Formats: sequence, structure tokens, C-alpha cells
Amino acid sequence: MSKGDFLTSIGLFIFALAIIILSLQMPRYEGLGVESYSVPGIVPGLLGVILLILSIILLIRSIKRKGYRLGMSTEMVKKYITNDSTRNFLITLILCLAYGVFVLKRIPYVLATGLFVFFFVIIFEFRPRENISSQKRTILASFIEAFFVSVGVTLVFRYLFLVDLP
Amino acid sequence: MFEGIVRFGNALLMFLNPWDLFNVIWSTQLGIIVGMLPGLTATMGVALMTTLTYKMAPANAVLILMCMYIGAIYGGSRSAILLNIPGTPANAATCLDGHPLALQGKAGEAIGLATTGSFLGSLFGMFMLAFFTPLIGNIALSFESFEFFWLCAFGIVICGNLTAPKDPLKGWIAGFFGLFVATIGMEGMHAYARFSFGSVELSGGIALIPAMVGVFGFSETLMIMKQPKLELIDSKIERVIPKIHDIIKYWKTILRSGVIGTIIGAIPGVGEDIAAWVSYDFARRASKEKELFGHGSKEGLLAAETGNNACVPGAMIPVLSLAVPGSAPAAVLLAAMFIHGVRPGPLIMIEFPDFIYQVVAMTLLATFAMFILGLSMVRTLVKVLTIPREKMMPFVFVLCAIGSYAIQSRMFDIYVMVVFGIIGYYMRAMEYPVAPTVLGIILGDLLDKNLRRALILTEGGIIPFFTRPISLILIFLIVLTIVGRTKAFKRVLSVASMKVKKIFRKPKY
Repeated sequence: MSKGDFLTSIGLFIFALAIIILSLQMPRYEGLGVESYSVPGIVPGLLGVILLILSIILLIRSIKRKGYRLGMSTEMVKKYITNDSTRNFLITLILCLAYGVFVLKRIPYVLATGLFVFFFVIIFEFRPRENISSQKRTILASFIEAFFVSVGVTLVFRYLFLVDLP
Repeated sequence: MFEGIVRFGNALLMFLNPWDLFNVIWSTQLGIIVGMLPGLTATMGVALMTTLTYKMAPANAVLILMCMYIGAIYGGSRSAILLNIPGTPANAATCLDGHPLALQGKAGEAIGLATTGSFLGSLFGMFMLAFFTPLIGNIALSFESFEFFWLCAFGIVICGNLTAPKDPLKGWIAGFFGLFVATIGMEGMHAYARFSFGSVELSGGIALIPAMVGVFGFSETLMIMKQPKLELIDSKIERVIPKIHDIIKYWKTILRSGVIGTIIGAIPGVGEDIAAWVSYDFARRASKEKELFGHGSKEGLLAAETGNNACVPGAMIPVLSLAVPGSAPAAVLLAAMFIHGVRPGPLIMIEFPDFIYQVVAMTLLATFAMFILGLSMVRTLVKVLTIPREKMMPFVFVLCAIGSYAIQSRMFDIYVMVVFGIIGYYMRAMEYPVAPTVLGIILGDLLDKNLRRALILTEGGIIPFFTRPISLILIFLIVLTIVGRTKAFKRVLSVASMKVKKIFRKPKY
């Protein structure tokens, strides 16, 4: 965890520094006779300073625990990526991002949702090495779930909650 | 006092109609199911339900959310007992004794005890809610900007401290990050859009519900899909109704856990998981059967379940009296109340005097529904645990997306949900608690306005921040919380306690 803390502390340090710089650049309305303690940058600036201090403490602590010895190798990265849990995580992330960020605003909601559910279930449950005919049930179950989820959610939100769907 | 009872009676009568009772039953049952399913937390359930009820009348919507909250916190005990995996983080302590009982063939008995403990805890918390909310509300009427500023700072520090007991630094980072997120968008004094970079959507700020759905829903989906598959252990469920003897035998533990749960609940942002652990720890220390703890102790199970459910009404005390959430699901409830036009906080006794007692009545109805539903249909409901995650998680994400979108009908909220889901995932992976971030998003506006208002009042002077009695108490607690975690303080404390013990040691003659 100290390696992760080391990298996080650097990221947080840069982030906090950016907050402070942007806060200092915010208008002070001096010409308008505004009370100088009510300016917009005062609270974010203060929070930036606190985050900066906390990031420095985290950085010092991670250095003390030898977190700077990252020891990254291509083998390690390869092992991490080919790991089953990492693969599951990446597939889920890509599917959710594709649905939430790209597909939803381009094609009708009911179709986008149906496709998302269908592919999600199929990708995780389909066994490519096995015969397709033996997996008809999986395909059918995915299709039924996709149909009921997409149509059900569409009907409830469109007609019961009167939401203008994306 | 008498006025309060009358208001409570009126509120209870208001909900005693077929439609509201129907809502109580289905939402509590749904809460139990959400709580049972590992990965679906109470916060996620309440957040998704907020998006499904936002068209309803305020009292009906909050009633459903309360039922979902109480049901989910209880429901998590099922999977803790049967799978050894807590359905919600609140039930982690339940695993320690609940699962060993199931392995001994006493799964039904364990479920019955968990149900009774949850029922009594929730009932105890409800009395505390009815008693303390108006009391704290009256004290809060004397709060000015200085006190509100310190209250926000205290909330973040104590929440960061308690939700990350191993490493409070990470809890504080999470909390201050949340406060920063709240400053994004147009500020209330000069209408300046902070950190919006010319984006119209960002200048409107980060809405709480999409951010929370992301942090608790999407990140949870990613976490669950990453973990190995769960296998349901085949446990026979026989007698579910608990023995009265067991309840009477452990009455002290139940009462103690009720008090602890309510107090922990009332501390900003801390939540049910800490309440359960602290209750469990106190029960173990005071128990005459210490050796049974961790091996199927009924007392341990009762302590954990009483503590976490007593925390639910406890978490509502600061929500109603100070507009500061006591736990993560309570934070969603607070946001839902604002969406429905109810403004909790010091003025609630003046603006919405009946609402506190309506919440008490809601808690009572939800508690009874949880007790009855918890002791019935146990065998049927266990089948829900067999739903594979591959089939459930796409549905959860669809609800996360549409739930975030529905409140304001804008795609930007889906993007916020996705971004905060990824941030939440990273935070969990790096062992940062997410509850302080959510608390920070809620308290950010309050802190921002009150700090600047106070500075205007004092013309930049900071002395008044340190001279008012309530401020001093809060500052003392903040300093104690921070200093209390340092090694030097612990060393001083242990030396001092040894010296005190030496003084009071009986002389040997």
C-alpha cells in the first residue's frame, strides 16, 4: 500500500497546488467595494492548503515506508493485466463506460439498455470453448433479462415518473 | 412533552391507511432484499429509491426511504449469517458470531436473534430520536456562523477518524476532498462559478445524488465484479422465532448496544458499521462468556445487530436538528428531504414542527414491518442469494444511470455518476473511506457560507471563532480527535494511567 500511497500523495500534491493557484486567480472584486473576506477563492484556497499539508504528510510517511521503490517491471504489469479479477474489472468498466458515456446519448434508451444488459450477461456467462448449442439457455436467459430490464425500466420511468428518457 | 406525544399520535394516525401501510410493507421487504445481497448497500438502496420516489408527496417518499434504510441495515444480517459475507458493511460484526451459529446448524435461531436485536435496537433508537431531536434542535437555534463552521470541521474530522480507524489521515483526506467538491460551481455570495472552466453544467455544481450513486453504486459494481464468485452454503433453517429466555438473559447487552448505537449514529458521518463494531467490542469486554465470542455467541450477535439498527434513528437526530447526516444513507435521506422541499436543520421546529414526529412514526412502522417480515418468509427469501452477480450487476448499473439522470433529466449527471464511481473505486482500492467524501459534499456549502459570513461579521478577525462556549467545545473535540491519534499522546496517556493506578493501588500490609 505504501507504493500506492506514494503515487497518490504526488497526485494529491499536484491537485492541491492547482486548487491553490486557481483560488488565487479568482476575482477579488476590490473595485466593487466587496468585503475582502467574502471573496470566492477564500474557502477553496483554504481547503487547497489543508489538502497540500495532508498530501505532504502522506508523502513523507510513504517515503519512510520505502514506497518510492516502485519496482515496476513489464512482467509485473503483464501478470496484473492477465489476472482474472483485473480482467473482470476492466470488462465491467469498459461496458459501463460505453453504455453510460457513449451509447446512451446516441441510440434510443430502450435499445441501448437492452444491448448493454445482453452483452454484459453474455460476456461474463458465455463459454467460448464450449459448444454453442449447449449454451442456448444462457443466450436465451440473457435475451429475456435484457428485454425485461430495458422495457420495464423504460415503462416505469417514461410513463410512471414522466421522465424524458435520454 | 405532552405536545410531542400528541404530534407523534397524529403522525402515526396519518400513516395508518391502506396505501401507506402497503408502501411500508413493500419498501421494507425490498430493503431487506437489497441488504441481503452482498454488494447492494443501504446507501445504494436509499439513493436509488430516492430517484424512484421523487415524484411522490414528501411524507410518502421519506416513509419509503426510511423503510428501505431500516430494512437494508437489518437485511444484511442474512448474508452475514448464511454466507459469512456482510450484506452491507453494517453487518460485518454480525459475521463473527452469526456464521459460526449457522455452521452449528442454528441458522434459523441466529436469524431470529438478529431480527429481534435489530427490532429492539431500532425501537430504542426511535425513543432517543423522539427525545433528543427537539432538544438538540432548540440548542442549535442559538448556533451562529462560528458554531456552524466548527460543526462542519468537527463532522469531517470525527468522520474521517472513525471511518478509517487504521489510518485517519486517509479519512481526513477523503473528507477535505469532499468539501472541495462542494465548492465546484456557482457560489452563493457573488454568483461566481468556481472551477467550472466555462462549462455551463459544471457551473451548476456537482449534484449530491449522482455523486453518491457513483461512489456507492457504480464503484460497488466494479468492486463486486472484481471479486471471486460467492458460493451459498447449504444451511438448514429451522426455528426462527427466538427464545424469550435468550432475550431476557442478555437485556443488559441489548440496552448497552442500543445506547452505543444511537450515540455513534448521532456522530456526523460515522454510520452503522462502526456502531456494530463498538457495540460488539463493549459486549465482549463486559461478557461473562468471553470465550464464546467469535465461536457462535448469541450475545455477540445480539450486540452487533442491536447496535447497527439503533444507529439508524440515531443518525437521523443530527439530520433533523442540524442538517448534518449521521451516516451515509442518512446523507441521502437529507438530500431527499431537500429535494422534497423539507428543510431540516435548526429551524425545523419552527418551519416543519410535525415533521420530526412524522419521522419517528415512520421509524416505528418500518421497525414493526422489519420485525414481522424478518421472521416470515425466511426460507423463500434465502433463494435471492443465489442470483448470480453477472445477472444482477447490469441491472444495478442501469438503475444507477437512469436514477442519476431522472432527477434533472440531463446527461451530465450520468457523467458525474461515472466519474465519481471511478473515484470511489480508486479510493476503496487505496483504503480511503468514501463516507467522509460524501459528508464533505453535503457540508461544503454550509462551511463555505458560514466561514465567509463569520469573517464578514468580524471584519476578518478570527478571535471570535475561539471565544464562544459551543465553539470552544467543538474545537476541543477536534483537537482531541487529531491529537488522540498521535503516538506521543498515546504514550503520555499510558504513562499517566499507570501513575494513576499506582496512586490508587491498595498498599500491602
